[in-house]
Amino acid sequence: MADLTAISTWTLADAQHFGRRAGFGLTPAEAAALQAQLPGAAIDAWIDGTGPAYDTTAFTAALATADVVAEPLVSASTTVAGSVDVPAVPAPHPFLVQGAEAWRNNLNTAQALLAWRMQHNPHAFEERMALFWHNLFATGWHKVNNAALMLKQFQLLRSQGLAKFDDLLVAISKDPAMLLWLDSVLNNASGTNVPNENYAREVMELYSLGADNGYNQTDITQLAKALSGWSFTYAEADYIKNPANPNLKFPADARFKVYDGTAIAPDTRLWWSGVATASSSMHATGTISLFGQTLDVTTTANGWAKGENAIRSIVSLRGSNCAQFLARRLLTHFVTTGFSAQDLADVAALIQAAGFDLRAALKTLLKSQYFFSAANRHALIEGPVSWTVRAARMLCPSLSAASAQTPRGYPAWRLVTNSATTFDEAGMKVLDPSGPNGWKEHTAWLNSNTMRYRAKLAAALTLNETRTYNSVVYPLFPAAITVDWFPTAPTSPQAVYDRLVVLLQPAPIPATVSSAWLAALWPAAFTWDTAAQTKARELAFLILCSPSGQLY
Amino acid sequence: MTTRREFIQTLGATGAALAGLSACGGGGGTSGGGGLPAPSPTPAAPILVIVNIDGGYDWLNVTPPNAGANLGVYQTKRATLGITDPALLTDLGSGMALNKDLIGMDALHAQGRVAWIPGIGMPNPNLSHFTTIDLWGQGAAVPAGTGWLGRFADTAFSPTGDVLRGITVTADLPVMLKGSGRTFVAITSAGGYVFPAYLLSTSAVPDAALLETGWASALSAGSTDVGYLAGAQAGRLFHDAQNNPAFGTGGSLTTRTPTVPYPGDATYPVLKLNNTALSSSLSSQLKLIAQMISAGLPGQVYFARLGGWDTHSNQAVDHPNLQRALGGAIKAFYDDLASITTSAGLAQDRVLILAYSEFGRRVQENNGGTDHGTAGLSFCVGKAVKGGLYGGYPDLTSLDANGNMKYTNDFRGLYATVLERWLGQTTAATDTLLGASYPRLGFL
Repeated sequence: MADLTAISTWTLADAQHFGRRAGFGLTPAEAAALQAQLPGAAIDAWIDGTGPAYDTTAFTAALATADVVAEPLVSASTTVAGSVDVPAVPAPHPFLVQGAEAWRNNLNTAQALLAWRMQHNPHAFEERMALFWHNLFATGWHKVNNAALMLKQFQLLRSQGLAKFDDLLVAISKDPAMLLWLDSVLNNASGTNVPNENYAREVMELYSLGADNGYNQTDITQLAKALSGWSFTYAEADYIKNPANPNLKFPADARFKVYDGTAIAPDTRLWWSGVATASSSMHATGTISLFGQTLDVTTTANGWAKGENAIRSIVSLRGSNCAQFLARRLLTHFVTTGFSAQDLADVAALIQAAGFDLRAALKTLLKSQYFFSAANRHALIEGPVSWTVRAARMLCPSLSAASAQTPRGYPAWRLVTNSATTFDEAGMKVLDPSGPNGWKEHTAWLNSNTMRYRAKLAAALTLNETRTYNSVVYPLFPAAITVDWFPTAPTSPQAVYDRLVVLLQPAPIPATVSSAWLAALWPAAFTWDTAAQTKARELAFLILCSPSGQLY
Repeated sequence: MTTRREFIQTLGATGAALAGLSACGGGGGTSGGGGLPAPSPTPAAPILVIVNIDGGYDWLNVTPPNAGANLGVYQTKRATLGITDPALLTDLGSGMALNKDLIGMDALHAQGRVAWIPGIGMPNPNLSHFTTIDLWGQGAAVPAGTGWLGRFADTAFSPTGDVLRGITVTADLPVMLKGSGRTFVAITSAGGYVFPAYLLSTSAVPDAALLETGWASALSAGSTDVGYLAGAQAGRLFHDAQNNPAFGTGGSLTTRTPTVPYPGDATYPVLKLNNTALSSSLSSQLKLIAQMISAGLPGQVYFARLGGWDTHSNQAVDHPNLQRALGGAIKAFYDDLASITTSAGLAQDRVLILAYSEFGRRVQENNGGTDHGTAGLSFCVGKAVKGGLYGGYPDLTSLDANGNMKYTNDFRGLYATVLERWLGQTTAATDTLLGASYPRLGFL
């Protein structure tokens, strides 16, 4: 059984294990600071983001002026009236895909923004949870075709990722990107129309219960009726025009609306941009039978939207199935894939006992003896986005140090994400999964192609690779080796190795391997000079690429 | 937007170009006298190319019924989306027609080189993409996690060599290609395959050879940690693949220009309904496979995929466009292979293409699309294929309780046929790989 009682003391290794799984790693100094606190209070603060260590003020300010690679210039259309050249955006500048820049609709920039946030957000847990939920509620830019709406969904996952699960499930079901992704906006069950089942099936199979776990095909068609007409509207001000071609515009925001024939004011546009004063009549009327219960799909009791009672029934009427589903996903992402049926049942019981309060359940799980047990250390293969971000956190300068440099010493995530769709080839095209099932985790992260790209990323992370763009030389992952990696000069190859292991925290590397590396890199007497520092970079590359370097 | 009739007229206008594509096929035989040319014998060094039609394609609109009671049901339940205009269809016989949007398949059918297998599926389907994809991938009487081609690799490939004998040109590694002892290699591009390179340049990393120390010792150390082994195996596959002489100086396969246009190419004569270029996704993958075959890679089994078939909505637009990309790419690839001579003979003689999807879609359309269904349509293309229909078309007047078709062909019978009659497995070995004996189909 899974021992879910809380630990009362912890070691530095415990704190580092926690930091890897519940964030994107801790530097040695951060780990020491965390471990100096009692684990219960420290983990509560980590999850809640309370206290000066998690103050996002400086991060938010830096985010607004992040020194990323400039977007290409856009020349004015020669045929559309009112077109103007889009001027060079002077660096530093924010990531350019939201708000007034939504017209850019650039996936790679949006990916860069997420990676930047994961690397620098002092409240790492909200980014970790958002990444977890993005894999579970997997939504893809290639169908939504709006980076701003994709990022709006990501913000929802950040802000409500620790809410009650039924509230989160309702919120994601009303999210504009999701409404587009699984065809909710085309689900018309008015009159004798045949509903579109896409969302109704996947919300149970992929987002709340799991295949063949507590529902049947009849429940799918009934739920599809309940959710018919779920859609959204735009206000005119939501549209952001491309200055270089004002005919091209993208909405930066949208609002949920059940299309039941009622007015859409103050909004003026339907989801497909048509001008209207009222929504179409797409919502079913009458009752449905879901999980054996009769539900009125037209009620707005409790302030709920029409049909919302059906979504909530998934949790209220199929609670044990839902808790089991969530337990499996949480264990697989945060703890281990090697859980027993009893472990799964124990965590599911925890979730149900917490009333699906995710904050409470996560706090218990992440403080538990089970989470910290020796068998669960380095027991998972890390996903490629997390793997890259964690290495960047360990190897690159801090936010404040990076902010003082010119160009700023932040990783050039925009170049990383734009290069051969790096995250895609590494196995996680974040913000654009191919399907609503997201990505399989653990061993499924690795194949010969993803290892090829991890090796490329490792080279960029460790070997000071640069790229010149708009006449500016950007180190992809800037790091001053004698400052950021070795503030104390090592005196031997073993000391170099030991320090890099402390930074990168791989699973144990067989001594035969590490000794072979050190002998090959430093065949002669050791001196901490420029040549040795280059060898130290190569050793970091080898650690990151090794089998042990994939585990966390 | 181009209407369906206009499209067919366009096809007529570009008939010369398409006829040219057919001629490139070099099939040699004609159907003189009305009979189909005989299939070629099974080659000494056969190659299997899997084309995964991902998302559950609506094959009822690819090979719709055109006669009898099935046609009546189809007309009723597909009142908006149904394809019934004879001008849009080629009659395949037995009450089944072929949608001309599946470009090139009518020509290959006329040459007798296509085996159509309608109604293919499994017992107790649950209509889930992911469950069904998993079961199609595993292809076993009792699924236990490995894929049918992965198990083939376990027994047929050298445990320590044969790295490039099984290749997927997708970035992921489908369960179909995972064995218990080894997996296929994933190669998504022909260039830059230097052992490890920087992210943004192809300069090799200094001392990268030391990486091999970590990967090799991990495998030889006898670790039982599955995560550790997964990292070691993936790394070794990447390393060993790169070390193949076919990846020459600079880590790239010999460049090759296809001899025929593929969908998405500027010179390809057919476009989407809105007159923009067709998807080049499958074309790119099949071009890469042709390049690998041409370069002499020892690939015996290749895997490619075209997604986007989950047409819950907008089917009237998306489905024709997808069919054109699918049929056109397969036809172009088949024709392109006629220009590749390998050490084991003409590539076109060596290749069997197997196309499959996880399921077909609901007979009753919704508003503009179709929802998940059950039985599917597979088809096989090759010089050695004895063309025709195999198995029964589902009875649309006798649907299951959810309004879905009842399957008429067990998908594992298709696998058994290919393992035994194309990949050279004995009857006993074939049955062992699948966990039971399934009836073979007569197209090989």
